[in-house]
Amino acid sequence: MSMELKEQSRSGEDVFIERFEDLIGPNTNGSESEWTLNRRNAIQVFAQNGFPNKKSESYKYTPVTKWLQSQLKNGMHTAAGSSVQSGNLKNEALPTPLLDESEVRGEPSSLENMKGLHVHATNGLIRGSLSEALPTGLIICSFKQALVDHPKLLSEYLTKAVVLERDPFAALASAFAEDGILIFVPAGLEVEKAIVIHHDALFSNSLIQARLLVVAEEGTKVNVIEHFPFLDAGSSFENRVAEVFAGKGARVDHVLVMERNDQTLFVNSLFVHQDANSFFRTNTVTLGGGLVRHNLNFLPDAEECETHLHGLYVAKGTAHVDNHTLVDHAKPNCFSNEIFKGIVTNQAVGVFNGKVLVRQDAQKTNAYQSSKCIVLDRGARTYAKPELEIYADDVKCSHGATTGELDEDALFYLRARGIHPDAAKLMLLEAFAKDIIGLIDFDEVRNYLYQRLHGLLTVTK
Amino acid sequence: MHVSIEEDGTEILKGLNLKVGSGEVHAIMGPNGSGKSTLASVLAGKDGYEVTNGTVAFCGDDLLELAADERAREGLFLAFQYPIELPGVSMSNFLKQAVQSVREHQGKEALTSGALLQMMKEKAALVHLDPALKSRSVNEGFSGGEKKRNEIFQLAMLEPKFAILDETDSGLDIDALRIVADGVNHLRSPERSFLLITHYQRLLDYIVPDFVHVLMNGRIVMTGGKELALELEEKGYDWIKDETTQLA
Repeated sequence: MSMELKEQSRSGEDVFIERFEDLIGPNTNGSESEWTLNRRNAIQVFAQNGFPNKKSESYKYTPVTKWLQSQLKNGMHTAAGSSVQSGNLKNEALPTPLLDESEVRGEPSSLENMKGLHVHATNGLIRGSLSEALPTGLIICSFKQALVDHPKLLSEYLTKAVVLERDPFAALASAFAEDGILIFVPAGLEVEKAIVIHHDALFSNSLIQARLLVVAEEGTKVNVIEHFPFLDAGSSFENRVAEVFAGKGARVDHVLVMERNDQTLFVNSLFVHQDANSFFRTNTVTLGGGLVRHNLNFLPDAEECETHLHGLYVAKGTAHVDNHTLVDHAKPNCFSNEIFKGIVTNQAVGVFNGKVLVRQDAQKTNAYQSSKCIVLDRGARTYAKPELEIYADDVKCSHGATTGELDEDALFYLRARGIHPDAAKLMLLEAFAKDIIGLIDFDEVRNYLYQRLHGLLTVTK
Repeated sequence: MHVSIEEDGTEILKGLNLKVGSGEVHAIMGPNGSGKSTLASVLAGKDGYEVTNGTVAFCGDDLLELAADERAREGLFLAFQYPIELPGVSMSNFLKQAVQSVREHQGKEALTSGALLQMMKEKAALVHLDPALKSRSVNEGFSGGEKKRNEIFQLAMLEPKFAILDETDSGLDIDALRIVADGVNHLRSPERSFLLITHYQRLLDYIVPDFVHVLMNGRIVMTGGKELALELEEKGYDWIKDETTQLA
């Protein structure tokens, strides 16, 4: 128990900063790679800002630091898969793990069988080889591989969309991630099959800082589906940062399905940069996790961009799910539409914070936002904070947030037809969720989600 | 039966007695605010009302002891005055769930999907509903007339013992009224009784009732045959008001 006392005397930030120094070593002045300098910069930004505290407005409803500290006290593995394998880890920099270092894999999901280019990842890193040959020019590889084969790509794009100052977790992941997954779609290529990333293995009780970089050049088309399935991997902290560049006229479609266990602290920071006439859409579906925070940041940085943010969450037990979005309209004639829906029950908490910023130059912006949440239990809570900040004078913007119980009249109508109350509730909840899931293009993904939802909501009171 | 609004205790039904025999069609008419829709809601089991006194016997059961869905499975049906839109709930799923729940309860075997589909097709034709509606959301985007016809379609699917039609005629044009009435007439049988709640005599030209009751101020103040409806159409309700006050 001396360990715990020791931990209490150090702040969470110090633990990470010391750990980073152990990992990277002292600055070798000039001889370091651009990426390493990049990482040093990120840890500096993190050191300056620290973890969110009680006064941090953007984490007001989401006590992520408290969670993290209690997890640190309990111990967790400190690095991504590559470091777990290397023998020179200084584990004393963080408390020793409680469990062994065995890899935990989930049951294969039906998404494995969908038509697509499948990528499997352990602790955020590509495992094994890809399922099939890639179309000419398409690159899917680890950052380390890219450093050798395509060094210019990384230096041109990595951390260029991430705003380190905006969120300490994005800075932390940018500093710590020792590798990542790169998807590069060269100009003009339309990738017919979806790229399906299965984040399907973790080391138990681990701390994972992972990265994803998607570069879709001019005139490309690509679908990226990410699945974080349920894993019985103890209490893990997954902090990942993803960057997406949608080039001129590119169409990038993203789906994220998060189903980790209830001891998982999951922070997902997505930064999207859009060039002229590009289309980006994400559908962020959260069906699991203990504390989940999605930081979704969009910068339509040229004219005629189209941005769609769709999200669905189901929070049960003591889960806490927070969707925090920012659409930064910097240029004129862009369109954004944001729709989030949530179902919270038991003692769970749902948080939605959607900010739309329309800068002075961004005339003729059309920006819409809606957040709807159904609260099934007296113990469950929800917070919604839509924010519109508009500096241009010729724009169309709207927002709406509703929270309520299931519609009594609708329930009565179903029951008046002989349908049992539980079945009636389930029908209405599924119908509610369908609005979001129905927006996903892939039958296999939709059907998988309907089936998962059915299971989740059936046992929900 | 005495019924109050739960929230504020206002008494709506003030001693209502009614007996509907098997296979009979009863019409209840009455001015606005007389308690007609409250009667329908209370019989169907809608929350928000308190039955302060009285019982409702339904085929040997105490209806008031049953939850709304149990009543429906026992064979009670309410055609809503304002059918609810259920975005995202398809007609086919809705009907499947409803029909199978009711059949299961009544000890009938579950229908195969094929048989259910066939049944939907036949019953939809009764009220001239497009069979393509099965893939649409329940009542969403339906016209006023379609919504009412959809109620009768559901009635036909669920084959209840006792059906309450709550102002099913309101908002219908002549043609739609005729279609709805034809559907109902087709569904009349010695095992099925109807309670028609209506403002207008017109509906009763098409669905000829065995009895007409006048509901005023929470009580049935007059009962007669189908000719009573014609008399009401001609003279309004005031003469009844006068007569009943004289009696009281």
